[in-house]
This record gives sequence, structure tokens and C-alpha cells, in this order.
Amino acid sequence: MTPRDEDQVVFFESSRFADPETFRGASAGRVGKRHRPTTSLLAAAAAGVLTLAACAAPGEEASVLEGDTITIGVKFDQPGLGLAEDGEFAGFDVDVAHYLAGEMGFDREDVEVAGVTSVEREDKIIGGEVDMVVATYSITPERKTEVTFGGPYYVAKQDILVSADDTDTETVRDLEGLDVCQGEGSNSASRITDGLGIDATVSDAPSYSHCIDWLGDGRADAVSTDNLILAGFLAEDPSAYRFVNYPFTDEKYGVGLPYGDVEACEAVNKAINRMYQDGTAGELLEEWFGSTDLELVRTVPQFEGCN
Amino acid sequence: MTTTASTSAHGPSSSSSGDDRNPSGVRARLRTTPARLWLLAVASVVVVAGLFVSAGSTLGQARDGVEVLGEDAGPQAMATTELYLALADMDAHMADVLLMGTGHGLGSGREVAEEQYEASRTRANEALLQAASLTEGDSIEERNVQAVLDGLGEYERTVGEALLLNDEAEAPSGEVDETALRRYREGSRLMHTDLMPKAFNLGLGSSAIVRANHEEGQDEVALGLLRVGGTGVLTIGVLVGFQLYLRRRFRRRLNAPLLTATAVTAALTVGVVLTLDAAGGDQSRAKEEGLDAAMALSRAGAVATDMQADQSRYLLDPELADNHQQVYLERAQAVLFRPAGNLEEYYGQVAEVADTYPDLPGEGEQPGEDGEDTDPGTLGYLGEDARDSLLPAERGALGEVLSAYDTLQEEDRRMRELSEGGDRSGAIGARMDIAHHEDGAFTDYTEALDRLIDLHGRQFEAGIESGERALSVWTWLLPTATLLVLVLLAAGVRPRLAEYR
Repeated sequence: MTPRDEDQVVFFESSRFADPETFRGASAGRVGKRHRPTTSLLAAAAAGVLTLAACAAPGEEASVLEGDTITIGVKFDQPGLGLAEDGEFAGFDVDVAHYLAGEMGFDREDVEVAGVTSVEREDKIIGGEVDMVVATYSITPERKTEVTFGGPYYVAKQDILVSADDTDTETVRDLEGLDVCQGEGSNSASRITDGLGIDATVSDAPSYSHCIDWLGDGRADAVSTDNLILAGFLAEDPSAYRFVNYPFTDEKYGVGLPYGDVEACEAVNKAINRMYQDGTAGELLEEWFGSTDLELVRTVPQFEGCN
Repeated sequence: MTTTASTSAHGPSSSSSGDDRNPSGVRARLRTTPARLWLLAVASVVVVAGLFVSAGSTLGQARDGVEVLGEDAGPQAMATTELYLALADMDAHMADVLLMGTGHGLGSGREVAEEQYEASRTRANEALLQAASLTEGDSIEERNVQAVLDGLGEYERTVGEALLLNDEAEAPSGEVDETALRRYREGSRLMHTDLMPKAFNLGLGSSAIVRANHEEGQDEVALGLLRVGGTGVLTIGVLVGFQLYLRRRFRRRLNAPLLTATAVTAALTVGVVLTLDAAGGDQSRAKEEGLDAAMALSRAGAVATDMQADQSRYLLDPELADNHQQVYLERAQAVLFRPAGNLEEYYGQVAEVADTYPDLPGEGEQPGEDGEDTDPGTLGYLGEDARDSLLPAERGALGEVLSAYDTLQEEDRRMRELSEGGDRSGAIGARMDIAHHEDGAFTDYTEALDRLIDLHGRQFEAGIESGERALSVWTWLLPTATLLVLVLLAAGVRPRLAEYR
């Protein structure tokens, strides 16, 4: 553990986010209050007296915004989005993370970026190991019971990637009878088979980069997942593959925050608004995915709401 | 420093900061009984005045808070939320008119659809004006309002052309002209990827403004409440001290007016503190159970409006039908979420929710270790509303909303089955029945939803009113009670002072 990590742990010690048990308890009970609970002013005032010595805001848990530093979780194995190379992270998500942190009032040197895998994302936010997650993190109703989402900062669509010489596949229906690859733990392909009732064979590869390899050597006919993820692979070798450009689901890439941190969530939304207005979002999309034939959306997405 | 008894008695501070180099001056004079009586009397008046000021200003803050939420920020935020609904409604009616083609009499007819389109356009304009005034000074949001205004003009031009092309081609119902369809896709794409997200975000932005104002106000009032309590305790302390001094010095059991003044002060302090607490509670409930719930449900109405427009898009654009069907499911999940991988599963899940309500399927189950395979419960806008503390009338109204929503899904299934079975005109008929402005399944659903929103709206108003009523009493009670304390104080001290004339 680096000294910085220790600082983070100390910072979270006083907040209820630090204790996964407490949190899980609250979530398991599903009391279902989506707002700040109606605390009596008397109780708030009493709490204020108790916490004044500790210099904390009365009656509220500390927001991510109030920390001196911010640790942001990003992907480290996703080309174009979050990829670790020589200890540095690079990609669209990484640039977005830095932009957001800057707008939230953090200096560049106070921003730490940490790699997270897909399965770790919830636990690391709940456990307080990271303050924020920008890692192709789709907003779903289930996840919203454990994590508060700012954004989405981009709405990716599920699409299909085929090899460049495959000119027959034009819509998702053309996958009938073909071999569709999905990364382990993903359910992208099941949306095609179960969701749309298309009779395709699903093969599970250890990861999507394996799927891309399989597509290259003919072990799979198509790869289907978020178009931004596919575009990241495609950007590495634009001439080898082709988008079918038949988007059929919305994948809302959200900014994961500790559950209930409405203040940070609203700050993130404001920052995303600005990112689109000042042209940064368009530039970043162009920089990372411009070389592909992906149809990019350059207008601000519909936010999920912070409650 | 002058050492006359009258000036040195002007505040408690002068007794402590007495001039040490001249002990025979101030101290000697303060040792006399009338000087001490004066000192205590003035100290009492000062603390009573302090209590009056702190109670008055905190009550004022609380009143402002309730008023801003009740008359200003709250209704404006609600109006901004309407913008999204109005836009969704415009695109929905446009899709219907295109789908009807030459079949002008389908459903409630083309004329009604066009009238409703215009009405939504007007509502969108009004909501934009509200949004403009609410976001004044916030450059990011102001630019979004402007962008929606501009974009709406472009949308109208684009879909207007689409409609014209379709009319000129005399396209029969369900067979939208190819060029017209391309234009409509452009317009609908503009609406869905640009205008509606911005409109939705504006609504969220105004909710955020309301939340920030409300919480800031509540925090201020909580601090004020502490100040009032503190000053009240101090005042009572001074008055009790006064009483003890009189008792010792004049050997009387009790000074009745002073005792009454103490009692009135105590009552005043407790009364103000309790009122502030109660008004704060009223305001929070008005915001959370009234306004927030009403806004969330109004979003549920807007998303459902867009959802049923996906039905039209599914029929009028066969090439993208799978896409529109998938989007329909996603929007439906936002309105009422139950785990379901496809529409068929979803229909079943919705029926179960409607049947078991007020019990919610999947609630109260402990998530297992893996967390993934467990039932997340009933979520989405309607699910969340069901988990909130509801009044009995609201619970009844939500029950009706859920069963209307279930009927809407049943109709959806019928429409898709007809379409998949090749009966296009049957499917179009089913779609137009759903949208019928008098007895369509969608109309029933929005009417039930409106009743529920109305109940939350009334809860909002009731909370505001109750808070205002509680606070308004003090506009005359506080000065009267303060005056009473001062009069009692005078009545208690005067006879004692008179003994030294």
C-alpha cells in the first residue's frame, strides 16, 4: 500500500462509506428512501453540536468533493478507454476522469488514477478504496441501489464488429447461425439470443481482446458489445474490422460515486455539461475513436439523476 | 472610563472589565444595592432583546425558506420537468401522424393528433420560458435552454418536411414514404440525442437548485435553532439569577412578576424551537414526499410517452424495428424495473407487480454473497414511489397506475404479436387504439398517473401551508411575548428600586 492509499483510507474512516457491512446492511434492508432522509432539525442541530468539535458539516456524511485528493478508478485493459502502459493510464475514460476532477476543484497533482476490473467496481467504491469510477461503467437499475451515478458522460450502444471482408452482415438478424463471441462474464451476446430471439452460437472468450483475436483468425464470426469498446479495438487496426453500425441497446456510461453523495453527483453532471459545451468531449471522442467509422454522438447525454 | 453608576451598569461587560486601578470607583458603586439592581435589570433586558432578535431572524429565515420552496423554486422546477414531457409528446404525435398516412380516421384521428402536437408545442414553449428564468445567471444551463430553443426550430422544420413528403406521396397507413422516413429519422434523432436529453437535464438541474437551496436553508435554520435555544437558556439563567439575588437581598420568597417573566421566556424559547423544528419537518416532507415524488412521477409520465412513441416507430420503421423494440424495453425498465431479459419476460413481471401490490415482488430478500443473481427488487420511477412512505390515498392511486401500466403492456404485447404474425394493419389499429385520446390504454395510464402526481402535489402544498401557518403565528406572538416579558420585568424590579429612592 502506498502512503497515498493510506491517506485515502484515513480520509474515509469517518464516513459510513468506509464500512461495507454498514452499507450492505442498509442496502439489504432496502428501506428505499431515495432522498436525504428527513431528519428533524432538532436532531440535526444536536448532531451539529456534537460534530462541531470535529469540524464536520452538521448531520451529513462527507462528500467526495470535500477531500483534499481524489482517487479515480479506470480500466487498465481496455484500449481506447483505459489502458495501462508503463505505469501510465491512457484512454477516453482517463481523459474524461481528469477533466471531471479538474472541474470538481481538484488540482492535477491531487488526482490519483487507479486501475479497476469490471467486477471490482462496486466493492471499491463501497469500500472507499476509490472515490469515483470512470470505467465503461454502465448505469443499471440494480447498480443504482449500491452506487450513485453521475452522468452518463456517454451513451454507448451495443453493436457488432465483423472482419472487414465480411460484407454480408448488415443487421443483427444476419447473425442467425453465426458464431458470436463475448467476453467472460458479459451478457452482451445473450441480448441477441435471448433478448431478440436470434439463433446464434455464443462462444465465451476470456476477454474481449481474445474475441478480437478470434475474429482475426476466424474462430468467431462476430463480436458484439458496446460500440465504444469495439471502437477502441478497431482504432488499433482500422482496416481489419468493420462495424455493422446497427446499434440496438443503450449502454449509459456513468460516473460511479459513493451511494448517496448527491453533492458530488451534481458537480459531476455540471462538469459533464461543460465538457460538452466547451468542445472537450467532441475533441476527446475524435482523438480516441475518430479513426473508426463509428457514428459518434457529440451532444450531452441524458443524465440519470442523482437521487 | 466614567465611573457613574448609570453608565457602568449599561452592560454586564463593564462589571468584569472594571478598572483595576480604581477599585474604589466602579466596584464600590456596584456594591450598592440599587446599582446591582440596575445592572441585573439591564442585563435581563439585553438578553431578552437578544432572544427576540435571534428568534425573529431565525423565524424569518425559516419563513423565507418555506416561501421560496412553495411559491418560487418548487413550482418552477416542476414546470421545467414539464419540458421533457412536452417534447416527448410532440415526437410521439408526429410519429402517429406519419404512421396513419392517408388513414386519417385511425384511432382518434389525424386532426386530434395534430391538435395535440400543437398543444405540446405550446407547453414546450411555456416550459422553456420557465426554464430560462430559473437558470438565469447559470451560463451552462442558459446555453442549454438556448440550444433547446434553437434545436426545436430545426426539429419542427425537419419533421414538417417529412410530413409534407409523406402527404405528397399519399403514403397509405403503415407504409411511410422512404424519403419522408429518412427526414423523420433525422428529426427524431435530433429530438432524442440532443433536445430531450438537454430538456431532461434542465429538469434535473432545477431539482438540484431546489435541493441545494433547501439544504442550505435547513442548515441555517438548524444553526439558528441552536442560537435561539442558547440565548433562551442564557436568558432564563439571568432571570433566575436575578430572582436569587432578590431573594437573598430582600429576603422575600419569590418575586412573582419575575417568576412569570421567566416562565414566559421559557415558554417562548421552547415554543420557537418546536415551531422551527416542526416547520423544518413540514418543509422537508413537502419537498421529499410532495415535490420530489411529483417530479419523479412526471418523469415517469414523460418516459412512458416516449415509450409508446417507440411503438409507432417500431411499426413505421421496419428496418430499425428491433432497435425500437429494445429501446421500448429499456424505457419501460426506467418506468418500472423488474429483472427481465426480453419483453416477454417483462410483461409477466409487470403483471406480477400489478397483482401483488401493495406487496412488491423481490422486496425483503437478502442479497446473497455473489450479489449478482439475486432479485434487486421493484425499481424504476414507479417502484421507487411505491417504496416511499405513501398516504393511503396515494397508495390507492399508485395501485391504479400500476394496473393501468399492466394493461398498457398487455396491449403492447397484442400489437407486437399482430405485427410479428404479419397483420400489419391489425398492428397499426392496435397501436392507434392504445394512443386513442379518450379511452386508449396509454390515456388511461397517464390519467391515473396524473391523479397520483396531483396527490403528491397536494401533499407538497399542504406541507408548505402547514409550515407557513406554524411560522406565521410568531409574527405577532414573538413581539407580544417579548413585550410581556419586559413589562413583567419592569413590574418586578420597579418596587425594589423604589425602596431606594
